[in-house]
Amino acid sequence: MPFRRTLLIAPPLAVVALIGVVPLALVVLWSFWTWDPATYWIKPDLSLAGYAGILNAGRWTVILSTLVKSFGAALLCSLLAYPLSYAIHVMAGPRIQMLLLALMTIPFFTSYLIRSFSWRLVLGRTGAINETLQALHITSAPLDWLLFSNFAVFIGFVASYLPFAVFPLLLSMRRIPPELMAAARDLGAGFWRAFFTILVPLTYAGLFAGFLFVFVMVAGSSTEVQMLGGAGASIVSVMINDVMRVANYPLAFAISVVMLITIFGMVLIGNAFFKLSGLFGEDAE
Amino acid sequence: MMVHEGVFNRLLIWTLAILALLVIYAPPLYLVAISFNASLQPGLPGLSDLTLRWYAALPKETALINALWQSLVIAFFTALFATVLSLLAALSYFELKMARSLWFLAMVLPMFVPGVIQGLALSAIFTHSGIKSSAMTVVAGHLLWAMPFAFIVILTSFSAVKPSYLMAADDLGASRWRQFRDITLPLIRPGLTSAFIFAFLLSLNEFTRAFYLSGRQNTLPVALFGKMNSGASPVIYAISGAIFLLSILIVVSVLQKAGRARAR
Repeated sequence: MPFRRTLLIAPPLAVVALIGVVPLALVVLWSFWTWDPATYWIKPDLSLAGYAGILNAGRWTVILSTLVKSFGAALLCSLLAYPLSYAIHVMAGPRIQMLLLALMTIPFFTSYLIRSFSWRLVLGRTGAINETLQALHITSAPLDWLLFSNFAVFIGFVASYLPFAVFPLLLSMRRIPPELMAAARDLGAGFWRAFFTILVPLTYAGLFAGFLFVFVMVAGSSTEVQMLGGAGASIVSVMINDVMRVANYPLAFAISVVMLITIFGMVLIGNAFFKLSGLFGEDAE
Repeated sequence: MMVHEGVFNRLLIWTLAILALLVIYAPPLYLVAISFNASLQPGLPGLSDLTLRWYAALPKETALINALWQSLVIAFFTALFATVLSLLAALSYFELKMARSLWFLAMVLPMFVPGVIQGLALSAIFTHSGIKSSAMTVVAGHLLWAMPFAFIVILTSFSAVKPSYLMAADDLGASRWRQFRDITLPLIRPGLTSAFIFAFLLSLNEFTRAFYLSGRQNTLPVALFGKMNSGASPVIYAISGAIFLLSILIVVSVLQKAGRARAR
């Protein structure tokens, strides 16, 4: 009965369209309009000033460094997520497994702001690490590069987004028949041989999806850089905040469009290689 | 999986796993510990000078308390709308045949829109169509952040609804509505509750979108952000620690309930 189907589909579709798709479509449109100092808004004269602004004042280098940061953080998270997922799925007994799964779920629903902020207390000049190092006479003065540095920002990224890499990996590990690794052992393969020739290739999909999730989350993040980054540190979202401080809408919109294309491009390419809906135990078709 | 990693490899893998967990949990737990320290200087309290004085000082922080109320109201409405809409979206998912994965993508993709861009876009639209910033403008922003999670949770809970149940009810003459009310709904109720609570927490802790969309009354994370950057005080540690611990307790209780339901 098509009427019932329409009744079900319409409300969620309308909401996603109205507060999701339409605003983003307008951002794309408005990025080509002209800044109007009289109204502190934009007027519908076609202009590429916003996009030209990206090339000024080194703004494109911020976009580039955001992509580099995203790539680095995604790589780091994937590398850490693999042993973690392996420990959860293969090595842990049922009780520890439950505990670890809970510990991986909790971060999604706690504050990224509070968690990033708490690293300040650990990494700061009078933070836990510096105090300990000095008490043990390993260093004589506080290490300055620990906080407000790229080092701190990358730690913040891992702390915030690691679970995004773990869950896709876990889901793809669950699909591997348990006998496979045992068979490899029986045929004489050592642990690492079985690990790299059987387990890893069979979990490429989860590894790739996790990498993608972290990449996309970091590319759109702002909190970690705001809380832990140095004076000159920036990332696209922080740059948009700065541009909006002088209400330069066309430039902010143009930067947004570049980021949206990058992010959705990556997600859609990823989805073409590996259906995201398949991740959640749904029919991958 | 029957695997023999060997002692050394087991040790190596567990070390890395624990390191990863420490990166996530050690600092916020350190913050919680600090919040019980009487001294103004951040540091671990000794057992003798544990204090609740910073927690006792919280009710006097009217700006933070007002922000907390605002956040709770926003989180409630976000959770309510997200749960109802995600239920409809999940039901649609099973109605659709050809367009399923497209529908899934459409419901989940909003999760990946950067908060700053979503917040900026919505706030520009609201400002220039004469809609004043309020709790409801924040709800609009938070809905897109919470719905994908709620949708996935509810979709997963549908695995309890075996098609044979519905077919049997259909054979016995139950209408589609009756099938939904008497079979589907009771079976997915734990999923709906989880979705509501998760959406509530996602909204309560969301900062970036609220930064653009909240009006004169800040939400708690926005108020906290300001305070964190203007010289943090132990009161900040106390409220941050309390929110962090409370979020953990709520998630754990939801997971336990789900675990027990699965065991049954």
